[in-house]
Amino acid sequence: MSENVFEFTNPPSSASSISDSGEDDDQTFIIKSGPKSPIKSPKSPTKSAAAKKKAKALLGSAKSSGRVVHSGSRTLYTAGRPPWYNSQGQLKKPFVIGISGGSASGKTTVARKIIEALDVPWVSLLSMDSFYKVLNKEQHDQAARNEYNFDHPDAFDFELLIATLRRLKEGKIVEVPIYNFQTHSREPTEKTIYGANVVIFEGILTFYSKELLQMMDMKIFVDTDSDVRLARRLIRDINVRGRDLEGVLHQYNKFVKPAFEHYIEPTMTVADIMVPRGGENDVAINLIVLHVHTQLQNRGFKLRSKLANAGCNGEPMPTSLYVLQQTAQILGLHTFIRNKDTARDEFIFYSQRLMRLLFEYAMSMVPFKSVRVETPQSVTYEGKRLTNLKICGVSILRAGETMESALCAVCKNIRIGKILIQTNFDTGEPELHYLRLPKDIKDQYVMLMDATVATGAAAMMAIRVLLDHDVKEENITLCSLLMAESGVYSVAYAFPKVKILTTAVDKEVNDKFHILPGIGNFGDRFFGTDYFEQ
Amino acid sequence: MVEPAPDLIQNTVPSLIIDEQFEGNVKKLRITDNIKELQTVLRDKSTSRSDFIFYADRLIRLIVEEGLNQLPYKECSITTPTGHSYNGLRYEKGNCGVSIMRSGEAMEQGLRDCCRSIRIGKILIQSDEDTHEAKVLYAKLPPDISRRKVLLMYPIMSTGNTVAQAMKVLREHKINEDNVILLNLFCTPQAAKNVISESPGITILTSEIHPVAPNHFGQKYFGTE
Repeated sequence: MSENVFEFTNPPSSASSISDSGEDDDQTFIIKSGPKSPIKSPKSPTKSAAAKKKAKALLGSAKSSGRVVHSGSRTLYTAGRPPWYNSQGQLKKPFVIGISGGSASGKTTVARKIIEALDVPWVSLLSMDSFYKVLNKEQHDQAARNEYNFDHPDAFDFELLIATLRRLKEGKIVEVPIYNFQTHSREPTEKTIYGANVVIFEGILTFYSKELLQMMDMKIFVDTDSDVRLARRLIRDINVRGRDLEGVLHQYNKFVKPAFEHYIEPTMTVADIMVPRGGENDVAINLIVLHVHTQLQNRGFKLRSKLANAGCNGEPMPTSLYVLQQTAQILGLHTFIRNKDTARDEFIFYSQRLMRLLFEYAMSMVPFKSVRVETPQSVTYEGKRLTNLKICGVSILRAGETMESALCAVCKNIRIGKILIQTNFDTGEPELHYLRLPKDIKDQYVMLMDATVATGAAAMMAIRVLLDHDVKEENITLCSLLMAESGVYSVAYAFPKVKILTTAVDKEVNDKFHILPGIGNFGDRFFGTDYFEQ
Repeated sequence: MVEPAPDLIQNTVPSLIIDEQFEGNVKKLRITDNIKELQTVLRDKSTSRSDFIFYADRLIRLIVEEGLNQLPYKECSITTPTGHSYNGLRYEKGNCGVSIMRSGEAMEQGLRDCCRSIRIGKILIQSDEDTHEAKVLYAKLPPDISRRKVLLMYPIMSTGNTVAQAMKVLREHKINEDNVILLNLFCTPQAAKNVISESPGITILTSEIHPVAPNHFGQKYFGTE
């Protein structure tokens, strides 16, 4: 699943391998960061596939062991994604790096080294190889005889490529085709790439289209001597792919070399940085990484402290906020669950009663249609039924999970997605670590669940994730048991169409971002992972 | 009633509405589209039994929660885990449930789900098939029921005869009518009138007052069609 971060594809043109593996049916992924290790000795792209596989496995293990964070009883095994939007919930556009260069110039190695050295989570690598056009029978036969020109701009589906990069630039999720180099067609499944903070886009003709160029924040040209490139191609195609010398040379002279001279080399002039010698050039790569870091830092800001101060005294609460009527039952249930002396079984029991009331209320706000039904008493009855709009639940782990059973008790057979968001203790900012959502969530009505909302930082991140998955803002209801005023204001201000539904609103948030008087740490009290003095 | 915390919230709606035509004796759930759907599914003859039970339990739960809202409480102050105090309230003891068998038993679980150890009495009443006269066959009630508030459970009322008979049983046990809250799902205007004329102190909680009652409720819920 690390393919979201690292993708090793063969250099284009004469390629003859399947570029990708490990597909996942659901939209699941775990974010892994690059290793902390400094730059290793350069690897040339001419290494055997086995060596590549090994390198990948090594990277994988370094990734998981490099980032284990213990704090109290909590252990984090992955690096999370810091906020990719501002306090208004609007997206910060990802930093797009374009890498171009001739065939076998070492573009992939440069891309991989930049990712490694950047050491930031949420990097997506997009390769032009995925966007080769599907070949018809005739072209397929040509390809078999080395007579098809894979190096010409016409070989690529630029329209799809531009649309894909544009969506990535907007922080949206994209489905990238998987190109099969044996059949020269697209696999029936597609690969999911998530919106990222840095998008690296590599390929021989990345600078060919003006529209693509406009989306790039940095353009790198990998300039490797043509003799070196030919030598690499010969070794790779003959040794690794078992092709004959004559065929390779024929293809090189007929297509690869002219294409480089006609289409690739001239685009050098638009590049911001030239990297001679490709992946071996550590100085150039370090300079690039330094620049990207500076750019990323300039975009960052303290989100949570800003959110905690949100809210205006004396102003009416936003109209998107709905609070359950404060009846004796609601107040009595709150008294039980807020009391620090309440035993856990009672805490669970009473909080679940509260959740059930919350969801019955939430259900009264989803769209219904009028229907007329026949009754056993032989009279027709004018009633209401849900529309065809499907409803699903999404819980923000861990505390939001506690609300799932209550939702299931109200919505029969509902599907539930999960989002793990944890606070980074160094920055105090929420970070996204894991998500798993129903596949067709974009057309659904979403009950987003979190037990408590203090600053609204986690809720905003979750809403942003849903929007990035094309869920309509007006189809999201944020359901919680308790909110602080600052959280209400932050969420309502950033996402005015999201319905905010809760059973109580408290005035304050303290400097640890706990709600006051509050309820304590809901997840800890519910699951029994709270600290107790001996 | 405790003051709700922020007083600037715009969207809060009462969940219960007093029906004026019955002089304050009848309180009805505020009909949202959600509750209308529950009623529609229960009314629809094409509803499967599993859906019927699922939706009936949801509606029962809402009525039970509203019933509990009618019970007495005391204000109190507690300390939260953050060390701050919270002004809340505490439910008072001295309540019980009484279900009128058979269909009233469908509501017992809903009450039990909210109050884990509440005492529940039972009254078995059977209507004569021909005369529609309700006859009490059996009653078992908590011994100190006269000192308790009673949540009387009976989901469907078309004539009100059954509930009227049950009220007779409760009066025999020296229960004050004012302490009885009837938890009901569907009721006809005639049934409400009958019950109130015989027991003017009773409170009726219902989700719908409609000339036609869904009389198939008990059979469909228990699968004895």
